[in-house]
This record gives sequence, structure tokens and C-alpha cells, in this order.
Amino acid sequence: MARMSSGSETRDQIAAIVRLRWRIFVNSLRTLRGRLELVSWIFMGLGFGVLGVAGTAGLGVVGWALVSRNETEWLAIPLWALFLFWQLFPIMATAFSENFDASQFLRFPLPYRTYFLVRLAYGTFDPATILCLLWLTGIAAGIGIASPSLLPVAALTLALFAAFNVLLSRTVFSWLERWLAQRKTREIFGVVFVLFVVSFQFIGPLTNYYVRHYGKNSRPEMVNILPGFLPAERLTPPGLAASALVRESHSDPAAALAALAVLCAYSGLFLWLLDVRLRAQYGGENLSESHAPAVAQRGQIAVRSGWNLPGISAPVTAILEKEFRYLSRSGPMLFLFLMPIVVLLLFRMGPAGTGRGHAPFAPGVFAFPLGAAYAVLMLGGVAYNCFGMDAEGVQFFFLAPLRFREVILGKNLAQACVLAGEITIVWAAAALIFHPPAMGMTLPTLAGVAFAAIVNFTVGNLLSLYAPKKIDPSMFGRQRASNITAFVLLGVQVVTFGLVGLAIFAAARFGRVWLATICLLALAAAAAAGYATLFQRIDRIALGRREALYGELCRTHAS
Amino acid sequence: MDTPAISTEHLTRRFGELLAVNDVNLRVTAGQFFGFLGPNGAGKSTTIKMLTGLLAASSGRIEILGLDLACNPAEVKRQIGVVPEGMALFGRLTGAEYLNFVGRMYGLDRETAAKRTTELLEFMGLTDQPKSLITDYSHGMQKKLALAAAVIHGPKILFLDEPFEGVDAIAAGTLKTMLQRMIVRGATIFLTSHVLEIVERLCSHVAIIHRGRLVAQGSIEELRAGVEAQAASADPASAPDATAVRAGEKLTLEEIFLRIVGGSRLAQQELSWLG
Repeated sequence: MARMSSGSETRDQIAAIVRLRWRIFVNSLRTLRGRLELVSWIFMGLGFGVLGVAGTAGLGVVGWALVSRNETEWLAIPLWALFLFWQLFPIMATAFSENFDASQFLRFPLPYRTYFLVRLAYGTFDPATILCLLWLTGIAAGIGIASPSLLPVAALTLALFAAFNVLLSRTVFSWLERWLAQRKTREIFGVVFVLFVVSFQFIGPLTNYYVRHYGKNSRPEMVNILPGFLPAERLTPPGLAASALVRESHSDPAAALAALAVLCAYSGLFLWLLDVRLRAQYGGENLSESHAPAVAQRGQIAVRSGWNLPGISAPVTAILEKEFRYLSRSGPMLFLFLMPIVVLLLFRMGPAGTGRGHAPFAPGVFAFPLGAAYAVLMLGGVAYNCFGMDAEGVQFFFLAPLRFREVILGKNLAQACVLAGEITIVWAAAALIFHPPAMGMTLPTLAGVAFAAIVNFTVGNLLSLYAPKKIDPSMFGRQRASNITAFVLLGVQVVTFGLVGLAIFAAARFGRVWLATICLLALAAAAAAGYATLFQRIDRIALGRREALYGELCRTHAS
Repeated sequence: MDTPAISTEHLTRRFGELLAVNDVNLRVTAGQFFGFLGPNGAGKSTTIKMLTGLLAASSGRIEILGLDLACNPAEVKRQIGVVPEGMALFGRLTGAEYLNFVGRMYGLDRETAAKRTTELLEFMGLTDQPKSLITDYSHGMQKKLALAAAVIHGPKILFLDEPFEGVDAIAAGTLKTMLQRMIVRGATIFLTSHVLEIVERLCSHVAIIHRGRLVAQGSIEELRAGVEAQAASADPASAPDATAVRAGEKLTLEEIFLRIVGGSRLAQQELSWLG
């Protein structure tokens, strides 16, 4: 039998995987959607390119300046910034992360070493890693120019620091995948993750609040507290990397080597944790969520009747009920709907919320419009890909004896109900956190919400049909919507919020807020006409798009 | 002459250059258990999707219970039940919620939908995990639920795309019992399956599609007689394959199928490198 040597087989397998990824990319360009996605990636690539070049130059200057001035210990700050970006960006911006499930390759006779390398390589090519590697190169170059004798140790230290970061991020992702493989842990994690992201947004306002509250007297206290953390900081990977450079610059190679050894130990620890995870995957762990066949209890079960809403047809009511059940079972989604209140709390802690700083209006005047705008934004996430969670179920809408407009109506009604509830909560929260919003601000805000919601429903309905994306919560790194949808969503929000903001701001400035209400109601009426026009045509559009919908939402294999 | 349950005239579907279904003229009489067979990629699923309104035909005409599908899609859909290829389930509902939802979508009142949901869940043996979401069901449980959803409104015609795929023997038995009861009560069942033994046991009539064209249609006996007659008239030396008609033995549906689509020749090809 024609068998290759182990080494060449491994090389061939890796080459085959690279070719596979390339073919998947090339084949994706056959569709219009694929080509549009490429355009959006090019734009994002340009953005990342600018960030990479500017960051490399900037950090090069920082490295040069700190070493030239003999302040090498301050290198810990850029290294900490890099570390945080490297680890947090891929988690927060999962849209830009690798989302190909490499465990699919396990059905092939891949040696463990090859599998490990493939998993590691996938992580090395994400934007955060590429940017951070560039930035570390910039720092190394800056150090080298300032002190050529320090360059070899700087290069070694930063290379070890890079290796540590790659291993850490891969370990975090692989363990996250393990926890996200099961629905219940996934939903718990979803809520924890949103809390984590939200908590970050409180750092700035809390610091400002603390500084404002205690005034200048607090600063000496803070300065006294910070040195207490330094010994602990020097034991962290960024601290160790900076420490190695400081020791080497002070001609203390033994201490520098000791710091590097601890950094290596950290890398070893995460290498081991990654190995544990990948070996379990390689060994064929079972993460199935299906229940074991239970003994059927042939007794009566209580089945509750569906909802009954007067004035609404049975199919539309059924869709409305189904949408609410879906929303109520998605922890992260429910939490997203609490975000407007979190935003109000953040607003409360900012200068505009306390009436200090340079805010031109009384504190809390814009709290209700701001919270309402955030509520509309949250709605966009649901409305712009409204079949994503239905996945294979979308076929049912074409099999059932109803017109597609009824499906859309049911979904839009559910979204409108959620938005109405959300706006009520935001109004109450604004009243509690600040003071009850004045009628003069409440009415134009409600008119603005009506306008923005109708525009979002209209565009969302179209995009749900033209750029659907199956939402698979089982994998970390999956996007909630396509890139095209994300761009259009952004554009629509800029335009609608711009118009609403302009109307309210201008009217408030000139003391005629009722004018904003009238303007926004006129805009809402125009948007409603657009919605109605699209609604009349939605059956035809849906029938024309049904094959594309099945293609995207009913496929069972990733990528 | 009785109105056929399903009839197509010159049904054609193109995907770009590919002619997936080519000029198919089907006729299924009411009350028949009809098997629609064909090799992979022959056009079975495309045909069933067109018959159920999931896919538009490029040309041709479909009539279901005498109604033109293109002109009366909603009326036709009210009369039929479908288990499509992907089952079309909503994973984040419980089984009971899903059946209730489907019942309401087909216009059942709340009480009837709830009553039928209870009965179907009990019949299908899906009552032991009432709070589980469909996404957590096993494949077999999902298949049973999809079938329950397809029949909740009491359809006159049932379209089933590979209903026994991935289903264990116990679940398959439940499904078969239910389908046979429906036939006894006058329903028409149109089914595609690769398991020819099941088709032979259940179906009275079959049609075979190959490379988009309908190559045979009739009762299993008619097809058998046709193949046997063809074999008798052919030179025995020219067809020395495994499906050759043996004196005194009845051809199985699998043998009939292989002779019609020419699969026996492929089976004879050697793959010398295989053990």
C-alpha cells in the first residue's frame, strides 16, 4: 500500500487543510453575499492595517523614549495594554475571530501533534495576534535603537511574551468552547460574559466619580496605594517581561533570566492546560446534550392552550407567542434588553448626569432619549436577522398555509411589544435615577422611537431575507449577523439617530420642543408608508429568496 | 374519472445549468401509499419540495387534490402535511409548545390544538421529557415530533422526505403504525426513502426518478412484470449480473430498482485496492 512517512504525511495534512480553507474562501466568492463580505473584510483590513502601522510606530517611539531616558520599568504599561488587548479583543469582537471548527478534522487520521499545531495556528492568524505581534516588533525596534546591547534580550523577552499570549488566548478559547458546547452552561456563560463587558464600562465613570467625590485629596491616597500592588504586578506576565528588561538594562542578567524563567513557567502552565483540553477533544470526548432514553411514562400530560389575542389572527398570535418563548429562553438576549438601564446608570455617573463638567443642559434632561436610543439599538440586533434563531424552522413558514406577510407581522409585533415594554422601563428608570422626564422631552422621544423603530423594522425585514445568518450558539466566535447586516445596521442607526437627535436638540435649544414632536411624527408617517409598501411586496420577495434562506439557515455543516 | 391526489404535468426544475427535474409527469391516486425512489441526486427531494410549495418549479404544473398549487398555495397547504428533509423544527420550543404552535398555524382552535398535542405526544412516546427543548431531543425523537407536527391538522396527503433516516427500530415501528392507520382512513402518503425494504412493505405504488427523469411509475407488481418481461426478452449473456431474473423467484423492489437505474453495473466495477 502507498503510505507516506509520518513527517511528510503531517506536512501533507497541514497543506491539505490550508488548501481547504483557501478553497472555502474562493468558493464563497461565487455568491453576491460572499463578494460583499469580502468588500467588508477589505474595509476592516484597511482599518486594522492603519491601526497596526500607527501602533507599531507609536509603540516604537514609546520603547525608544523609555529606554533612552532610563525609565525601562515603565515598559510594563504598554505591555499590560498589549496583554489586555490580546486577550480581550478576540472575546469581545468575536465577529473578527476565527470561527472554523477545527475539531471537524478529528475524523481524519491526524496525529495529535498535527491537530495541536492546527489549533494553535488558527489562533495565530486572528487580527489581535497579528496586531500585537506588529506592536511588539515596534517596541523591540524602539528598544534596539535606544540601546543596541539590550536588543537580543528584548527580542527574546518579547518573543516569550508573545508565545505566552498566544498560548493563553488559545487555552481560554478552547476551554470556552468546552463550556459553550452545552446549552445550559452556554447560557450561564452568556450572562456572565455580558456582565463582564458591562463592568468594563463602569471603570471610567467610577474613577471619575471617585476623583470628583473626594476631590484632590484622594490623589495622594491613590498614589500611596499603588506601590503596594507593584510587587504583585511584577509577578504577572507583563510585569515579568518588563522586569527582565529592567534587570538586563541594570546589568543584572541573573535576575533577568529568573524573570524569563517564570514567564516560561507561565507559558508552560498554559501549554499544559491547552494540551489537556485538546487531548480530551482528540480522544473523542462526548459533549452530547441529548438525554438518555428515558422510560416513557404513558400517563396524561398537561398541555396548555396557546395564547389568544383578540383582534389578531391565530397564526400571527402563534408566531408572536413563539417569538416571546424564544426571547425568554435566551439569557444573553434578555440581558441585552437590560442594557439601556445600565447605560442610564453610566450616564448618571458621567459629567452630564451630575450637572458638573461642561454639560449645557440640566442633569438627566437627555436620559430618557439616550436610554430609548439604546433600546432601539438593542432591538436592531433581533430585527436585522429575525430568522437566524429559527434556523431550519424557517422552512415551516413556507409549508404552512399562510402568507409570508403574516410571519413578518407576527415577528414585528413581538419586536414592537418588546420595544414598548423596554421604553416603559427606560422611562421609569430615568424617572428613578434622575427625575421624571418632562412631557416636552417624552413626546418627541416617543415620536423619535416610533420613527426609528419603523425604519429598523423595514430595513430589518429586508436584511433578514437578503442577508440571513444562522445563529448557532454552540460555538464561540460565531457572528450574530453577517458583516453586511452589521454595516447596514450601523448606517441606519447613524441616519435615524442623527435625524432624531438633530430634531430634539435643535427644538430644545430654541425652546420649542413640540416642533421636534411634529417633525418626528411626520418622519414616522413617511417611514410607515415605506414599511407598508415593503409589506405589500414581502410575500413576493420572500418567495424569491426562499432558496437562499434554506441555503443559509438550513445547512447542517459549518462554513 | 377520480381526481388524482397528486398530479404533475411536465414538471421541470433547473438550477442554473443543471436540470434537476426534467419533464416529470406524476399521477398519484387518492388513498395510495406511494413510494418515490431514486439514487442520490436523482431529483427526489427537489420534486417533493416543489410538490409542497417549498421550491418553485421552473416550468410545468402541479395539482394537489385537483387544485393548482401555483394558484392556490394556501388552500393546498391546508390539505397537506409535510416532513421535509431538515424537519423544519424550532429548536428552542418544547415538543408540546411546537405542536401547539403548528396546530394554530394550520388554523386549529386553541382547545383542539392542545387536545391533539396531548394525544400525539402520547402516541409518539414523547411525554417523558415535557420540559426538554427540541434542540435537546435525540434525532429519533425529533423525527417523531416532525411527523406528529405534519399530521396535527389531519391532512389528506402526507409528504415524507426520508422519514426513517436515523430512526431506531422502535421509533420506525411507531411511525409505520401511524402511517398505515392514515392509509386505512383514506389519506394519501407520498414518501421518499432509500430503505427499499420498507418501501416494498408499505407502498402499493412507486415511481422511480433517475437523473431528473421519471423512468418508471406504477404498482410494484406492474414494475416487476415490466422488468421480468424485459429480462426475458434480453440475451442472458448480455446481463450476467447479480440482479438477473432467477427462474421461479420474485424480484425484490431493490432488484427492480437496480435493474431500472442500472446500479448493478456500478456494483460490479472492481476497486482492486480495497482489501
